[in-house]
Amino acid sequence: MNDWVSSLFNGNTLALIGAALAVFLAGTGSAKGVGIVGEAAAGLITEDPGKFGQALLLQALPGTQGIYGLLTAFVILNKIGIVGGTPVELTTQQGFLILASALPIAFVGLYSGIAQGRAAAAGVGIIAKRPEELAKGIMFAAMVETYAVLALLASILMVTGIKL
Amino acid sequence: MAIVEMSRITLIGLNRDKEMIMDALMKLGAIELADADEKLASEEWSSVTARDGDAEEVSSLENKLEKLRFSIEYLAKFDKRKKGLFENKRNLKERDLDAILADSPRLWSVVDSIISHDESLTALKNARNKKMGLIASLKPWESLDVPLQTTSTDSTVISIGVTPAASDAMSLLDELLEHAGECHAEIINQDKEQTYLLIIYHKASEQSVSEILKKFGFSRVTFKGLEGTPAENIKSAEKEIQDIDNQCFKIEGEVSSLVNEKASLEVLFDYTCIQRDKKKALHNILKTESAFFMEGWVPSASAGKVTKHITDMADCIVEIRKPDKDEEYPILLSNPSVVQPFEMITEMYSLPSSKGIDPNIFMAPFYFVFFGLMVSDAGYGILMACVTGILLLKFKFEGMLLKLMRLLFLGGISTFIWGVLFGGWFGNIADIFAGRQEAIPPLWFNPLNDPMRLLIWSMIFGAVHLFTGMALKAYMLVRDGKPLDALFDIGFWYIFLIGLPLMGFGGMAAVVGKYMALAGAILLVLTQGRNEKGIVRKLLSGVLSLYNVTGYLSDVLSYSRLLALGLATGVIATVINTVGTLFGFNVLGIIVLAAVFIGGHIFNILINALGAYVHASRLQYVEFFSKFYEGGGQSFRPFKRNTKYINLLND
Repeated sequence: MNDWVSSLFNGNTLALIGAALAVFLAGTGSAKGVGIVGEAAAGLITEDPGKFGQALLLQALPGTQGIYGLLTAFVILNKIGIVGGTPVELTTQQGFLILASALPIAFVGLYSGIAQGRAAAAGVGIIAKRPEELAKGIMFAAMVETYAVLALLASILMVTGIKL
Repeated sequence: MAIVEMSRITLIGLNRDKEMIMDALMKLGAIELADADEKLASEEWSSVTARDGDAEEVSSLENKLEKLRFSIEYLAKFDKRKKGLFENKRNLKERDLDAILADSPRLWSVVDSIISHDESLTALKNARNKKMGLIASLKPWESLDVPLQTTSTDSTVISIGVTPAASDAMSLLDELLEHAGECHAEIINQDKEQTYLLIIYHKASEQSVSEILKKFGFSRVTFKGLEGTPAENIKSAEKEIQDIDNQCFKIEGEVSSLVNEKASLEVLFDYTCIQRDKKKALHNILKTESAFFMEGWVPSASAGKVTKHITDMADCIVEIRKPDKDEEYPILLSNPSVVQPFEMITEMYSLPSSKGIDPNIFMAPFYFVFFGLMVSDAGYGILMACVTGILLLKFKFEGMLLKLMRLLFLGGISTFIWGVLFGGWFGNIADIFAGRQEAIPPLWFNPLNDPMRLLIWSMIFGAVHLFTGMALKAYMLVRDGKPLDALFDIGFWYIFLIGLPLMGFGGMAAVVGKYMALAGAILLVLTQGRNEKGIVRKLLSGVLSLYNVTGYLSDVLSYSRLLALGLATGVIATVINTVGTLFGFNVLGIIVLAAVFIGGHIFNILINALGAYVHASRLQYVEFFSKFYEGGGQSFRPFKRNTKYINLLND
């Protein structure tokens, strides 16, 4: 029985699950957030097509979490040598360490992406009525992103700190 | 470098000179007219003066402007000349303006004809749509050779109609032949939704026929007011559409022959706009039977010149005075040109109050450093600086756009410097081609290899930024005659906050740090409760104030975004390069590399420049400004010629 457990909880598998989680959860958050803003923006564009550029700017904001997730995954893949370099055989413990380090950006990315999408969608209302105040709408959404940035930082520091 | 000092200007003149004085003031563009509401509210003033201005005249001018705007935009659609992305304003001498104005009756008739052309085009398009609809509804009946107006003969009924595709038309025909005796039924056409039928039957069998038809869901179709066979009708409708198209073409031709008038219409637009603004300004002027009174703000430096100019020109009284101590005045910023682009960041937050200070010169270097650090790629920096630099040289931007372009130009330079320091050139593209690590060695260090080092540096930058903000607060307190507050609220915090991190270093520094932190803490406990009553409450709120250290801690931690976003750029760039080189260095590989490289890096620049702009702004707004900034100022809006298309030059 130990056989299949050890082959399932193989270090490299765990590390890959970590990388996958980072992309999958943070990406889901961004997709949802960008979608929310897109819906609000489309409503505005039917009234005033000239504001497309401004609306697109707001829509881009919740997209960063997905990028942070991909970035973390890439750092992990780079670390274990799947991308660029020779693959490293990880112990189960090392695999869990890497899995743990992917969790901050995975979960914070998921929730902050959605929350940032809501804040940015509310910002679409600002450009509908007072387009000159776009920057303030951007700032409200950017306040949410702070936590995604912090989570990304934690994830990267954790991955780079693990000794293989 | 700072907020421009303003003086209150009061002008009393004679009504007969009013037009001339207003023109002169508008040309000078140095005075913001103050609202007359305040004066009118007092009995003293409202009993002898009345508000000037004519709302009806303003709205009739607005009406004209609307027509002109419509015509210009309409003509723009027909303007085949090549247009640049950014249009510069044209220069126009006043002499030429007079020539165009002399021509204005003709220009107005051009405007009217454009509007009537538009109306007839709309009507024609509606008529065309109607005909198209008719053709669409007749098309299935095209092969029917019975005239549409013929619905019966002496003894028969001729009926056309449709059954839904779901009911079987063949068995309908069978049943009709079987039960209705003398009758003719045929399928004219069939499509996905329905079957088109012609049925001719004897009047006597009306009853049984309609029962059968009902069973199969037959519904009659009638074309009211049409004569002749469907084919004939389709043909005539097509001919009418052709006619309409010809007419449209002719009208559009006429409109496009007017394109050359667009330039003159634009001048007329700007001129009308100036007239409107002048009439609107009268709203803030008080008048009596023979004199008028106006008040406003003028930059103190130009107050003398304005006074001289006006009094030389007409008999009037001009009075200049300094603002009262508590009087807020409109804000005009004056900074060295290298700092000016950063004003837009402050303007987006809020202009400084006239009692505050202009933060731009202090904020600019930090914004410059932070923006670059968050993008930090030499290749990206060169690209950004070059693109915005070329645009700046080629076009004359104005207002916000000019500031934004220059901000991005400076940001590009900063990005380049940081890129060189960190060794990032389009990510690691040099490494890939050279086939070894650090083909272009960093001048300082590579943050990907040692993120902790950059994290600490980010926080040091942050601490310097925060301390600068606190120093500005101290300056404001001293300026307002509260030097002790500056010492207690800023000085003691300095001691405490410098002492704390020093304790982390070993050796002498740790000992010094320990005593600094201790001394700072004791001094804070002793002074922070000074506004409370009673010794116990003083001490208690003094101790509680130490809790604020968490605020400073989270402020400093917030600067870790400098590291995170800086790393993000580099890593994404590396991902792009890795994906691009997946196919190796054969012909196909090089093509893939070029496509991925160009698309990917442009995307990366855009997303990271946006991120850097947003987060560098946030660090100013939330961390820096919260330490000292007093916003809420109103911007200085001088009474001047606001034009959209032309610059009026004096002869």
